[in-house]
Amino acid sequence: MFQYFPEQASDFAEKVDWLNSLVTDISVFFTVAIVGTMIYFAIKYRRRNGVDHETPHIEGSLLLEALWTIVPSLICIVVGGLGYVYYDEMRNVPPNARTVNVQGQKWFWSFEYENGKKSRELVVEVNEPVKLMMTSRDTLHSFFIPAMRVKTDVVPGQYTFQWFRPIKTGDYQVFCTEYCGKDHSAMLTRLKVLPKVEYQRWLNDKSEEEALARMDRKEIGAQLYSAKGCNACHSLDGSPRVGPSFLKIFGRKEKMSDGTEVTVDEQYIRTSIYEPLKQVVQGYPPAMPNYQGQISDDEMLSIIAYLKSLDGTQPVAAPAATAVAAVAEDFSKLPPAEWGKKLFTAKVCGTCHSLDGSKIVGPTFKGLYGRQEKLVDGATIVVDDAYIKRSILKPMEQVVEGYPPAMPPYEGQFNDAELNALVEYLKTIK
Amino acid sequence: MSSDSHAHGAKFTESGEPIDYLNCARGIKSWLTSVDHKRIGLMYLYSIMSFFVIGGLAALAVRSELAKAGGQYLTAEQYNIAFTLHGAIMIFLFIVPGIPATMGNFLLPLMIGAKDVAFPRLNLFSLYIYWLGALLALIALFNPIDTGWTFYAPYSLQTSSGVILMTLAAFILGFSSILTGLNFIVTVHKLRAPGMTWFRLPVFVWATYATAIIQTLATPVVGITVILLLVERVMGIGIFDPAIGGDPVLFQHFFWFYSHPVVYIMVLPAFGVVGEIIPVFSKKPLFGYKAVVFSTIAIAGVSFIVWAHHMFVSGISSTTAKVFSVITFFVAIPTAVKVFNWVSTMYKGSIRFDTPMLYAMAFVFLFMVAGTTGVYLAILALDVYYHDTYFVVAHFHYTIQGGAVIGLIAALHFWFPKMSGKMYNEHVAKIAWFLIIVGFNATFIPQFILGMEGMPRRYYDYPVEYQNLHTVSTVFAFVNAFGYLLALVNLAYAARFGKVKAGENPYDSLSIEWKTQSPPIHENFETTPVVSDWTYGYGKDIPHGAA
Repeated sequence: MFQYFPEQASDFAEKVDWLNSLVTDISVFFTVAIVGTMIYFAIKYRRRNGVDHETPHIEGSLLLEALWTIVPSLICIVVGGLGYVYYDEMRNVPPNARTVNVQGQKWFWSFEYENGKKSRELVVEVNEPVKLMMTSRDTLHSFFIPAMRVKTDVVPGQYTFQWFRPIKTGDYQVFCTEYCGKDHSAMLTRLKVLPKVEYQRWLNDKSEEEALARMDRKEIGAQLYSAKGCNACHSLDGSPRVGPSFLKIFGRKEKMSDGTEVTVDEQYIRTSIYEPLKQVVQGYPPAMPNYQGQISDDEMLSIIAYLKSLDGTQPVAAPAATAVAAVAEDFSKLPPAEWGKKLFTAKVCGTCHSLDGSKIVGPTFKGLYGRQEKLVDGATIVVDDAYIKRSILKPMEQVVEGYPPAMPPYEGQFNDAELNALVEYLKTIK
Repeated sequence: MSSDSHAHGAKFTESGEPIDYLNCARGIKSWLTSVDHKRIGLMYLYSIMSFFVIGGLAALAVRSELAKAGGQYLTAEQYNIAFTLHGAIMIFLFIVPGIPATMGNFLLPLMIGAKDVAFPRLNLFSLYIYWLGALLALIALFNPIDTGWTFYAPYSLQTSSGVILMTLAAFILGFSSILTGLNFIVTVHKLRAPGMTWFRLPVFVWATYATAIIQTLATPVVGITVILLLVERVMGIGIFDPAIGGDPVLFQHFFWFYSHPVVYIMVLPAFGVVGEIIPVFSKKPLFGYKAVVFSTIAIAGVSFIVWAHHMFVSGISSTTAKVFSVITFFVAIPTAVKVFNWVSTMYKGSIRFDTPMLYAMAFVFLFMVAGTTGVYLAILALDVYYHDTYFVVAHFHYTIQGGAVIGLIAALHFWFPKMSGKMYNEHVAKIAWFLIIVGFNATFIPQFILGMEGMPRRYYDYPVEYQNLHTVSTVFAFVNAFGYLLALVNLAYAARFGKVKAGENPYDSLSIEWKTQSPPIHENFETTPVVSDWTYGYGKDIPHGAA
């Protein structure tokens, strides 16, 4: 009665579902019997027209008390016992089980097989028992495969395990079921159960591995998108910010500020990141900082893979950011603080640093000057002229705790006078 | 029925009203400095109900977000904050103080024939501690946390610093709970009226007493846990975070050592309420009184040694899991015994269906569902599947909302005439009952199905195949919320503006809290009552001892 389980894809599934069905039948029987009796009494012994009637003084019945203590106890022994036996099977790994190492990390899973092959989706062979040796790199996670009816927490600092024997080929959902923060509900992967031949081919196939690696890159790229602060200027939903949206960017034809037209391909993406002012899309300010030395070749491949994946077929959540327009003029004749303000606008500092105390990508500029900040290396500094200048030219040296090391270096992009102007401006933002 | 107040030798105010605990002193100061258990109970009531509203709004925020797959109104971070606030506020600020601090405070001395609790000033102090904890929790809202109400390490050590303030609030609230518990234990031991023997006590007193023992013994453990968490967070001493040598599973042991018994702090008093209502409205003695009493004590005792059933898949050894599974069944049996006894009480009764009785009968059904679904979770092989799915969410809400909250609402309706001397609008109360019961079941039955389909809890987003059930659940959550609003407004309106006098004993209860005027005088009874009979002597004329 009332079975809504997913497909039975392991040999635990049938037993678990059968036991569940037994417990449901018993539960429904007793609930209907008890509530039915209550309703029957309520109708039969109701006060008719509000008139009270005589009631007997019945204090209890030892026989009944004994009966309804013993019967539920017996039922508990049976269902609890069966649960105990099945659980025992789940905890006793057959000696011939193959081991897959599982690692949980906010917010993705990675798997490593006995031959060293790695993947982001779990691939196993049908009818062969597999043991998952699991650990976490950060906080608690839990590895739940509904179709297999197994789940075990994944704990940092220790190995936990679970095993199952898939009895059907197919593609099954895997959830993280221990709350692990922001993207807990996106910490999903798939379990692929393959026939023997296909599994062996997959396990030893390098091209397959590369394909999987490409898929990995998408996820790495997605992480870089947040970690490097791309999201401050480039949306995922098609809306323009400081820069063009990344939605459907790959293969798009863009008109450049110099009038030429380019198709966004791998090379253009690379150029835009390493030499962003070389080919600026028309209608956008030449605002993007240079990421040369900030993003490795390998990371570049991942970003490209990620941008390719944003083809509009899958909806994406976009973090918010403020768009700021930049104006390119010479303001060096202005008083330093005002000049600094113009520079703040022109260099789009505001995409990452707010003026109102709110946190964007980097610390707010409100009250920054003279503030004490704790750095990621644990040291505490007071924000003074020297720190501000250093943070602009070589931002990675002293990153404030709680913020990503996302700021690009502006070495060579500001002269001393400009830096002084910026400092003067920052002093005015209280 | 409504005998004249003169019978009690009542004194009168200048306007001719009998003097009672409400009008004997006026002004905000007379409340804030009152050591009268009845006034303290009411102050608790208004306080926890405010948090019920806040926690309820957080629940509606969560349900609104989940109405459809994908992001709706909240970001993932905001959603995580919303479900954390819902849980933390409902647990620590509403339902743990819940029935004991409100109805327990109000009724315990009245039901045992005492003038007040044993330590009236300590009682007021408990309330002030509660307010301090509540204030800290409200301040913590400015830097909200996203850990879930369980504060699991190491996540709680890594996320927003608001955790420090929120756990400090939980620590302080714990002291309020401990002191109330101590006060009640001493009160029941030392202040029973002459003739009020242990086995003449109403089951509500037994339930409150058992609850007080749990409060006193279990709450210090959560205090210790929270302090350890703070020490680790502030001083970096490795206790729970493996990165600095700690053990995250240890946190879970500590946490559930308190938080499992605390479930019975919430629900045992509700059992007591139902055990009072069904006999009165059936005009029958509580069937198997002693069995009910012993099952109450048994549940309280066993509640201390089942905590690890929250941890079957946490990485504990399978031997540990098996032992805790077996012990857990010992909770199921006394709970079943209670349900059988409540229903049997109605046999050959003279049953009237006033609002309190409707709530009590609904409670029996809701608790059958809560109890039987609890059995699934005690069964190891099934818990492996259901753990941290919506099945657990639904089960938990059946016990806590279907049990503790419905018990509180039932108690508020039943003893409303006692507390206010007035009667609420019965029609509105019944409509509200209907909305609450329908809304509640239609909110959470879909969640049982979702759990069976594998839907994990604490998910901001979900695969689209779960959407229909989530939509149904969300729609009826609003019906449920509207029902509560209607019920509470109905009561509040009657308390403030109501004109209908309830009479001394509108439901013909034999319990001695009804043997003084309603609302009672400041010291409850004109003269200390002498008890010569069991509380449940319905259907007989001759005095009678315990069964």
